[in-house]
Amino acid sequence: MAAAEVRSVGTGAASGRLLLIAAALLFLGLFLVLPLLAVFVQALAKGVSAYFIAISDPNAWASVKLTLTVAAIAVPFNLVFGVAAAWAIAKFEFRGKSTLITLIDLPFAVSPVIAGLIFILLFGSHGWFGGYLRAHHIRVVFAVPGIVLATIFVTFPFIARELIPVMQAQGKDDEETALSLGATGWQTFWRVTLPNIRWGLMYGVLLCNARAMGEFGAVSVVSGHVRGLTNTMPLHVEILYNEYNYTAAFAVASLLALLALLTLVGKSFLEWRQPELRHAVAQARDRTRREKT
Amino acid sequence: MSIALRGIGKQFGEFAAVKDIDLDVPTGALIALLGPSGCGKTTLLRIIAGLETPDEGQVLFDGRDATLWPIRDRNVGFVFQHYALFRHMSVFENVAFGLKVKPRRERPALKDIRRKVQSLLELVQLGWAGDRYPAQLSGGQRQRVALARALAVDPDVLLLDEPFGALDSQVRHELRRWLRRLHDELHFTSIFVTHDQQEAIEVADTIVVLNRGRIEQCGVPGEVYDLPTSAFVHRFLGQVNELPVQLRDGRAYLGPIDISPATDVRTGDANNIALIRPHEIEIGPEGVGWPATVIAVRVIGPIVRLELNAQGLPANEPLEAEISRERYEGERFGVGQTVGLRFRRWQVYPAASGAAA
Repeated sequence: MAAAEVRSVGTGAASGRLLLIAAALLFLGLFLVLPLLAVFVQALAKGVSAYFIAISDPNAWASVKLTLTVAAIAVPFNLVFGVAAAWAIAKFEFRGKSTLITLIDLPFAVSPVIAGLIFILLFGSHGWFGGYLRAHHIRVVFAVPGIVLATIFVTFPFIARELIPVMQAQGKDDEETALSLGATGWQTFWRVTLPNIRWGLMYGVLLCNARAMGEFGAVSVVSGHVRGLTNTMPLHVEILYNEYNYTAAFAVASLLALLALLTLVGKSFLEWRQPELRHAVAQARDRTRREKT
Repeated sequence: MSIALRGIGKQFGEFAAVKDIDLDVPTGALIALLGPSGCGKTTLLRIIAGLETPDEGQVLFDGRDATLWPIRDRNVGFVFQHYALFRHMSVFENVAFGLKVKPRRERPALKDIRRKVQSLLELVQLGWAGDRYPAQLSGGQRQRVALARALAVDPDVLLLDEPFGALDSQVRHELRRWLRRLHDELHFTSIFVTHDQQEAIEVADTIVVLNRGRIEQCGVPGEVYDLPTSAFVHRFLGQVNELPVQLRDGRAYLGPIDISPATDVRTGDANNIALIRPHEIEIGPEGVGWPATVIAVRVIGPIVRLELNAQGLPANEPLEAEISRERYEGERFGVGQTVGLRFRRWQVYPAASGAAA
């Protein structure tokens, strides 16, 4: 009797678990895998050769290069800023701290289009610094510097926001210990703080990078849509799409998706290579083996 | 190294964490800063370490003003309650950290580092654990790694912030004895913070009792326990029974017991209380002393704790008495039995000091 009851409870839990897993998979399939597949199917709809012709178009290549350049500038910039801001907020008490936190969140609250307009207002030909810039033949708006600025603005909060809770949870004990052992501030940062936050940091970089490559609104306002010069990949996709050039649009979109997948693979690889992570995995394996025997 | 604090004060906003602290720690002493949470003991330790800067006063290391020295120039070892081991480093790397971050001309050769770390790990009985990571060790083992790491840089002073607070009682007991032995072998100056009076009494040479940011009393453990100078210290170090002192016809009484000859009680000062530890209550046959009824008996290893309802006291405030197991085996006090109480020792304080706890 007792055994039967136990079994029925067991199968009840098992079917509940199956239901949950099925629901999660269904959602993932419907909202993530299916659209991603659709991109690749649409891109390859007219055959592989049409796909390669589409992505080997010089304007498409220029957009890829520009997107990677912008990300390569914006991500390191926000990396440095994010770590510095999170460090200050998590480990020190100072006046104006809550204001700083609010300011970091500002780009989340402001619509990307407004973010773009801010830079037109500042650096456009009729903007505050427009006269000065024209006099010195510096182009910011409708050029690469404007795109970089807009991207940095939009991706500002990602790394700081990711790191603040991590650093707050870890407290100051590790750093204070390192200092008491004679380490300098630099040594403490490189050998203790950075390793402690690297997972949060990597995740923040990943998010920041994804947004930097995918940003549309703000960049669209400041770019000027000059083909082969100031079109990033998302802008290029839109132009192609508006020209009813679906194959080419989806081909470039598939490249963008591939870049995103690549960053994810990179992250998994780095995680896998960490010695203590391998350690933990090996330990877990030992434990299950022991439990089985 | 000797440490002296002169008039140390520290505010956090409106809250005065410590006020006007004067303290001398001679070279080689093992001192406990004891007090309830919020009494300022950790702040004081952090000021000595250089992790906080005092608002006023001076910290002297061997007579030199060290108040503004940064922590890395003080040569102190600091051990945290939650170990603060570097989780991404092996046990070996953790202990070697202080040696490896030294400037190149002071840094020992790699093989010397290896030898020193291994000998420290042997010292803390973890010679086998060099390749492990902190996550693979128990709490007691982690705290021993933290101690080895602090000792690796040959500190003049070892500062420990509730070092055994996160461990279970068996391990805590072992580590206390081990720390005492280690201190006796290596002769560094140590200061540790605790809220556990038993820990302070077991380990330290000197106990500094702190209350609300001030030093309440400072002395050797036996003295602080037996001769507390305030009701706060009396209460904080061990169990106490509290009785109002009654004044009648110029004499002082605890219940029916006349305590006038032994106590200096000024007549008219009617609000005094007497504090009596459980083992200072003498239980005798009915008819001698203060009549009381036994309402509970609990045998706790070598001692037996009795709860007693003394005549004339509210029933929900029973007195607690402790007698030896041997005594109990002989007399067999049972629940419901009437006995007579006398007090072997007591101490009288003005009742105003009662609020401090």
